[in-house]
Amino acid sequence: MPMTNFDIKNIDPEKEDNLSFEELIVNMGPQHPSTHGVLYLELTLDGEVVLDCRPHIGYLHRSCEKIAENRTYVQFIPFTDRLDYLASMNNNLGYVLTVEKLLNLQVNERAQYIRVIIAELNRVASHLISAGTLAQDLGAYATPLFYCFRDREKIVELFDTLCGSRLTYNYMRIGGVKNDLPPGADTSIKSFIKYEREKLKEYDDLLTYNAIFLSRTKKVGILKKEVAINYSITGPNLRASGVPWDLRKEEPYLVYDRFNFDVPVGEAGDAWDRFKVRLEEIEQSFRIIEQALGGIPEGNPTVKINKVYKPAAGEVYLRTENPKGELGFYIVSDGTTKPYRNKIRSPSFSNLAVLPELVRGVNISDAVCVLGSLDIVMGEIDR
Amino acid sequence: MHKRAGMGMLRKIKVFYLNVKSLLVGMKVTFKNMFAPRVTLQYPQEKQPMKENFRGMVDLIPEDCVICYQCIRICPTAALDLGHKQIIVDEKKKNEITKFTFNTELCCFCGLCEEICPTEAIFLNKMYEVAAFRHEDLLKIDLMDAQKYKHLDKNYIFKKKE
Repeated sequence: MPMTNFDIKNIDPEKEDNLSFEELIVNMGPQHPSTHGVLYLELTLDGEVVLDCRPHIGYLHRSCEKIAENRTYVQFIPFTDRLDYLASMNNNLGYVLTVEKLLNLQVNERAQYIRVIIAELNRVASHLISAGTLAQDLGAYATPLFYCFRDREKIVELFDTLCGSRLTYNYMRIGGVKNDLPPGADTSIKSFIKYEREKLKEYDDLLTYNAIFLSRTKKVGILKKEVAINYSITGPNLRASGVPWDLRKEEPYLVYDRFNFDVPVGEAGDAWDRFKVRLEEIEQSFRIIEQALGGIPEGNPTVKINKVYKPAAGEVYLRTENPKGELGFYIVSDGTTKPYRNKIRSPSFSNLAVLPELVRGVNISDAVCVLGSLDIVMGEIDR
Repeated sequence: MHKRAGMGMLRKIKVFYLNVKSLLVGMKVTFKNMFAPRVTLQYPQEKQPMKENFRGMVDLIPEDCVICYQCIRICPTAALDLGHKQIIVDEKKKNEITKFTFNTELCCFCGLCEEICPTEAIFLNKMYEVAAFRHEDLLKIDLMDAQKYKHLDKNYIFKKKE
């Protein structure tokens, strides 16, 4: 019950019973700039300290899984673009790989190499956005975000010439890709890598080892190894907690087993580690791209789409390493041209589930930092 | 907890040094960017040409269409609507399109229709400024009409894809 003026005058500070403590419920979102989309957090506060947090989801629900049941295998590819809209290429890739496994389809070498290059470039773009938005959430208004967007623009431009779209690419095809790499893509990717490596050093100076950034992110939102595994956290968030788990190493798909790259891991599992692991992964992606560009074979990677795919009845599950974590498609076929069921296991959904554990006991401003460091995308949480 | 009271002199100096260093490094980056080339585009005045295979609005070359219904079948959102009838010209049976409409509201600009078309009759043009004053202007766009997007863009001229 709120206190009136009369109550306040009559308070005897010596008696503890007279002081009433109230829990305050603050609704953060669904329209809030730091919730990364339409996420609604119900925060229970004691002053500045978060006592409890309940994420409410479903504001971006478009029933992608149900739509898949009424579409042919080719028709569903554009819908996968809209899951994690910052890494559409990786979603496309996960879906077509699953369908290819269902069909027992062999893909030619050049298509596989192109897929690796494109997927890694999209990973870089996604991690850049993640780094920029975390900095913006912490109050570094606009500058780091715009720097990251400036760099991401070069990747997006390349994708634009490659497939004609800047965000929803619809590029991967069952059995290949839509277009071959445009002439001169080789040199433009290499010059981008050279440019971006210099910029990454600048980000290290500007953000990673900045005194304010360190004091805001170090020892905030510590995710312990056991908790991370229990909540089935995947991707950079898991690796920041010290678990060297990367599907590109553990269960190599495509031609990832031919490339040398490291799996960066963090130590403490705090917000800073998650940020740092992402920046290091960008460097590892560059290593993969350089090796793939060096060994790319000749051939025709494109396929015609007017073929009707009719897989035999059965089921298949395949997971790929997305920028946000492990993306899995579980497709059940009943022998017709449309899947009977298509279940999508999205990484951000599990990564969001751990948020209440992390924000209990931290200040409300740090809760925003924790949410930003988890790097969620609502598109694939609600699907 | 903050232990400001018990902080040693050495640590104080170290924190001060780190703060000043961060500030100077940030300033250096700002200073460098003052002389860097501009990356933004003054959009309504300056416009970037669209890429060669940019996916804009759906367009059609009516003479090239063979009424195979492939685009209707592949469209994931059923944005296209096609109807035809048989007519007899010089005692020969011939198909003629009665209607071919495009619903902008449903289209997701995936470009599958363009990719599957055997005669390259249907294609995606380079239009991207497609705001309309009335909702109905976007719902049923007659693809057979050469002036189909004139009400959205005054400068629209029907042009075949290179």
